[in-house]
Amino acid sequence: MNRKKNPLLAGLLSLFVPGLGQAYLGDRRLGTTFLTAVVVIGGLLVWKNARLLLFVLLAFWLLGAWDAYRRAQGGKTRLAIPFLLAAFLVYAVAWQTTEIAPMKLVKGVGDIKPLVTDILWPIPAAFTRSEVVETARDVMQVPCSDTPPSAEPQPEGKPQIHVSSNCAAIGERITLTGTGFRPNWPGEVWWENPIGQQFFVRQGGQYLRFRTDAQGSFQIETQIPLAVPEDMRNRPQIHHIEVRVHWPEGPWRASQTLELTIAKILETIFLALMATTFGIIVAFPISFLAARNLMSFSPVSLSIYYTTRAILNITRSIEPLIWAIIFVVWVGLGPFAGTMALAVHTIAALGKVFSESIEGIDTGPIEAITATGANRLQTIIYAVVPQIIPPYIAWSVYRWDINVRMSTIIGMVGGGGIGFLLIQWIRLLRYEDAGVAVWAIAIVVSILDYSSSKIRERLV
Amino acid sequence: MLKIEHLIKVYEDGTRALDDVSFTVQDGEFLVIIGLSGSGKSTLLRCINRLVEPTSGRILWDGTDITAASLDELRRIRRQIGMIFQQFNLVKRSSVLTNVLSGRLGYVSSWRSLIGQFSREDMQRARRNLERVGIADKANNRADALSGGQQQRVGIARALMQEPRLMLADEPVASLDPSTSHSVLQYLEALNKQDGVTIMCSLHFLSLARAYGTRIIALKDGKLVFEGLPAEIDEDRFKQIYGEDAVRVEIL
Ligand SMILES: Nc1ncnc2c1ncn2[C@@H]1O[C@H](COP(=O)(O)OP(=O)(O)O)[C@@H](O)[C@H]1O
Ligand SMILES: [Mg+2]
Repeated sequence: MNRKKNPLLAGLLSLFVPGLGQAYLGDRRLGTTFLTAVVVIGGLLVWKNARLLLFVLLAFWLLGAWDAYRRAQGGKTRLAIPFLLAAFLVYAVAWQTTEIAPMKLVKGVGDIKPLVTDILWPIPAAFTRSEVVETARDVMQVPCSDTPPSAEPQPEGKPQIHVSSNCAAIGERITLTGTGFRPNWPGEVWWENPIGQQFFVRQGGQYLRFRTDAQGSFQIETQIPLAVPEDMRNRPQIHHIEVRVHWPEGPWRASQTLELTIAKILETIFLALMATTFGIIVAFPISFLAARNLMSFSPVSLSIYYTTRAILNITRSIEPLIWAIIFVVWVGLGPFAGTMALAVHTIAALGKVFSESIEGIDTGPIEAITATGANRLQTIIYAVVPQIIPPYIAWSVYRWDINVRMSTIIGMVGGGGIGFLLIQWIRLLRYEDAGVAVWAIAIVVSILDYSSSKIRERLV
Repeated sequence: MLKIEHLIKVYEDGTRALDDVSFTVQDGEFLVIIGLSGSGKSTLLRCINRLVEPTSGRILWDGTDITAASLDELRRIRRQIGMIFQQFNLVKRSSVLTNVLSGRLGYVSSWRSLIGQFSREDMQRARRNLERVGIADKANNRADALSGGQQQRVGIARALMQEPRLMLADEPVASLDPSTSHSVLQYLEALNKQDGVTIMCSLHFLSLARAYGTRIIALKDGKLVFEGLPAEIDEDRFKQIYGEDAVRVEIL
């Protein structure tokens, strides 16, 4: 320090405003650091309202004053440890705020298992066969009246069932026997109440299932379920009990899930294609305005350059997801909103890389063609365009690839495409169906990824 | 006749690349410009067709002041001045024919060049010029598939499309090996002798300057330090131009 500074004044200044003393001594950076530390700790204090932080804040404040005092005398204070402690404090608060709990990762493994296995192996949801169903039914009066109904006639040569009694009270046990069903096959017991509603009968929380023997017969006990509202329970009502044995038969074919997935993945690909195409069409002319080497010939052109750049940067900094939400509100749910969202983002992203390709071109040909007496437009067409076509194609293909990926996310906020389907299946806990969608996305994305990298390899 | 008067070029960063340079070039001359790298040769040549804007001074061509020309006039002047470059400055991905045809753009309207339509005469002219530089068979090759010497010949053919009266050559053979250098310079010589095109050519080697130049000017730090016949450059002159301890580099 050349000029003499007053240590007491320096200390008091730092006591007044943290860092001011240091700034007065000519070390603005240290001053700013002290001020920032005090502001951050103060902020945490207000937010977390922890008394410990009050002490830390005061300690820092005084440390700053002491440091300024010592510094003015030509001495030094050790600041590394206090600042490290302050940083540690910030991390402690951050850890707490983000609710980091590594043990949850271990505890949650059980919950994630069915989801992971379903998503990894969704084949059962992707393909189906037609079902053959064998049924047989009988009447059941609940509770018994004076004249219980007689058993329904069972058709000859078809599966038949027989109940131990055609009337019973709620909760009473009856025995159900059946013959003529598919041998060695599982079956289900269903209940139909007087107004035609059907239930899969439960017993102790489990669905009531049985297995036929080698002759196609079975015997099972069941309790009469609560199948009607309370006010109807005392009057005798006619219910039905039904037995079903079913099995898949015939060729495998795509399930509804798979069909829907394919339709939506195609929608996704086309959505990305349209967004990329719109993006290219708009970004192409814009890229010339955003290329510094083409726009630095006059103050007007230079200001066009800066404006274009600024607009592109702002547009690009808004995530496609936000654009999607904006367009969903604007044009309604569906693929059009997604297309517009991705198109806008594509314009900004391609506008930037396109103009950078222009800025990176060999300027020799521009010079040579200008020297022949060609005008600006001709120079651009003959010296610039041939040089930028290959990188433009490469970037566009890459964008399409990115857009397919992004459209899966866009779909989750209603922008059309497969993302919408995926998020719905996940919310309905239909993880196998979700698995089909996940696989479809993975396959399409990797094919596109591979082919786009091949195309780029060839062009660069 | 080309008359350079008190030409000064100061670049934006303050570099004084040309410092009060004056000289005259008569029609039909083969003027060689020599000087160390950084002495201002490229700047001088680029001031003549205003690829570089002179800071002050005048360039008079048959009485017209090029430095005062409007943009339209400048384009008309430029199309009479061919230029070839050390790095050839071809569009590498375009075909040889397209590169040659682009030399004609100064004569073609904007919208015709927009659709890439050149007249039959221009196509024939392009073929003739390619034949003249001996690479007619390469017309449909990509420019960067050619050797250095062939690329420079494409550069010459492109300049010939302008039917120039003046040809500027900025170290046209500096990237070429000695024998190719001679073949390229011979094309320029033929242009000069047979068609009477005035040539201004900067060269790195004194031997080449002596072999092809009808007159030589030398630049040092942006100043004109010699103007005369090739035979007039002796050991002392050479040292003056290239500095005291310059090793004399010669190629045959
Ligand atoms: N665009 C430019 N901006 C600033 N300085 C330049 C520029 N071009 C050339 N110069 C400088 O001007 C001087 C002359 O350069 P140049 O004409 O290229 O010389 P030569 O062609 O003889 O090697 C050099 O000092 C060079 O660094
Ligand atoms: Mg040069």
